[in-house]
Amino acid sequence: MAAILTNDTGKAARDEILTLRFASGARLASRQFLRNLPATSGLVVLALLCLAAIAAPLISPFDPIQIKLSAKLQPPSWAHLLGTDHFGRDVLSRLLYGARVSLSIGLMVVAFSTSFGVPIGMTAGFMRGNVDNVLMRLMDAFLTFPPLLLAVAIVGLLGPDLRNVMAAIGVVQVPVLARIVRASTLSAREETYVMAARALGASPLRIATRHILRNILSPIMVQLTIGFSAAIIAEASLSFLGLGTQPPNPSWGRDLAEARRYMADAPWLFLAPTATIMLAVLSINFVGDGLRDALDPRSWRTRARVASAKG
Amino acid sequence: MWRYLASRLVQIPLILVVVTMTIFVVVRATPGDPVQIMLGMETSPDAVAAIRKEFRLDRPLAVQYVLWLGDLAQGNLGRSIRLNTPVTQLLRERFPVSLRLAAGAMLVALCISIPLGILAALYRNTWIDYLCTGYTVAGFAIPNFALAMILIYVFSIKLGWFPITGIGSGDAKTAFDAIGPYILPAVALGTLQTAVLTRLLRSSMIDVLMQDYVRTAHAKGLMPTTVVLVHALKNAMIPFVTMVAIQCGYLIGIQVTIEYIFAIPGMGSAVLSGVINRDFPIVQGFTLVIAAFFLFANLVADLLYGVLDPRIRY
Repeated sequence: MAAILTNDTGKAARDEILTLRFASGARLASRQFLRNLPATSGLVVLALLCLAAIAAPLISPFDPIQIKLSAKLQPPSWAHLLGTDHFGRDVLSRLLYGARVSLSIGLMVVAFSTSFGVPIGMTAGFMRGNVDNVLMRLMDAFLTFPPLLLAVAIVGLLGPDLRNVMAAIGVVQVPVLARIVRASTLSAREETYVMAARALGASPLRIATRHILRNILSPIMVQLTIGFSAAIIAEASLSFLGLGTQPPNPSWGRDLAEARRYMADAPWLFLAPTATIMLAVLSINFVGDGLRDALDPRSWRTRARVASAKG
Repeated sequence: MWRYLASRLVQIPLILVVVTMTIFVVVRATPGDPVQIMLGMETSPDAVAAIRKEFRLDRPLAVQYVLWLGDLAQGNLGRSIRLNTPVTQLLRERFPVSLRLAAGAMLVALCISIPLGILAALYRNTWIDYLCTGYTVAGFAIPNFALAMILIYVFSIKLGWFPITGIGSGDAKTAFDAIGPYILPAVALGTLQTAVLTRLLRSSMIDVLMQDYVRTAHAKGLMPTTVVLVHALKNAMIPFVTMVAIQCGYLIGIQVTIEYIFAIPGMGSAVLSGVINRDFPIVQGFTLVIAAFFLFANLVADLLYGVLDPRIRY
């Protein structure tokens, strides 16, 4: 006991145990995740979408903005796999470029809500008392407002700039994430390993970042996938209302809005973006569900037992 | 219970003050002048100043807010800068439309989610359950305005069953004329709620069906339908009813895309145009009502929880 508590050996041993547990936990979780068919296929589709977005300039058959009125409103064909819109622009190329907007907005929103939601939630849960009260009542005030309307108000007031869209969608997600992080922090800070770290003389900041944060990563990750897909739908909604990406730039939501006038003659114009949005959101949701199952200790503890029995 | 209710009823106005104050400051702190937007750039400064004075825009922010609160206490929400009509009159026109649309959406959600949730729980891992899961997964993934476009294409353009737009024309001759224009918007608006409620009812029903008292009821020889509909459903409904109340609060505020596509004169589009034109009184009045409705729905949800579940006492 005394040997473990002396600083050097104790720290080394503790770190070794920690990394061992972390590695085996991660390995078990990833094995569980890969066994889940919807989750793996969601991951593959999501990876393909990201690749397509990155490689859009290379793989797009046409320029997404170039107007060619002689080829307007053409149904899907071998030359234009998903047809052309009312300006003769290739729908597939526009969707590929639109993926860049949607996915990057999604990622930026996730980064935004993480960088505010996690510190706020952890501070509230870790400090408790008045800090907790003030922070959470503030978050509650944000939650009293329907999220889409709040985003509409923010973007409408600040102007339809990509950064404003990102901030408007992100602001809506911060209180949700903060609540989850706070709840997880509250239960994590009562765990024995936190008590042990405190007994070893770790500073509160170190306990929060090295011990608590590491242990509440799974609910955060699951919530981030939910935030990612919600952000894609929110961006599409804002662009649909004319508050997001501005024409002629391609965006899934904006293309849907423009397809409204040609619904009777050119149904591919609204079906293609709809299918693309659903594909993106579905794949992210499947990855999120898979993560939740894989990271749920109740489900992988049994796996661990099975694995140790085999080993 | 009564003490809890009283404390919540005190809290709600306080939250509303915070919310309206935030909106008040944010709307005015962002660039864009309602009078300039309305009159254009080439108007005489005198005319602009006169209108600014009329709408108290020349006063300090804090004074404007206190005056607005004072008017609110007398049931006056000011006049729209752009339309020059009282905000309360606009609210009287638009709130019923939004309320009807929200009620329709909730009705659709209930009609689908209750049977589907029960059946999916009863026939777990059969095709009914898979259908239910597929339906909810798709419902979470499709934006409501995209579904609205598909519905318009199939039912209005191809089949010609419903008008594409036209709520509020007022000259309805038959019952279908009155209800018809609401059907597609309500179905599209209620998609997410249907998915949320179906999934919730399925999982709470599965939990309840595994309880001992359900087994006891079966063992007593009660009819399976009695066990499911009376014994199990009653308890599975507790989280469901609460969620219905919460979602009702949301439904008023998320209509904006649906209003936009069906050209419905509701609350969401009023806020949208109010924000774009910097029509401060409209933005404030409408957001106040939307936030109040939302808070009220949440209060009802919390109270219902206590009423339905005798184990919960506030």
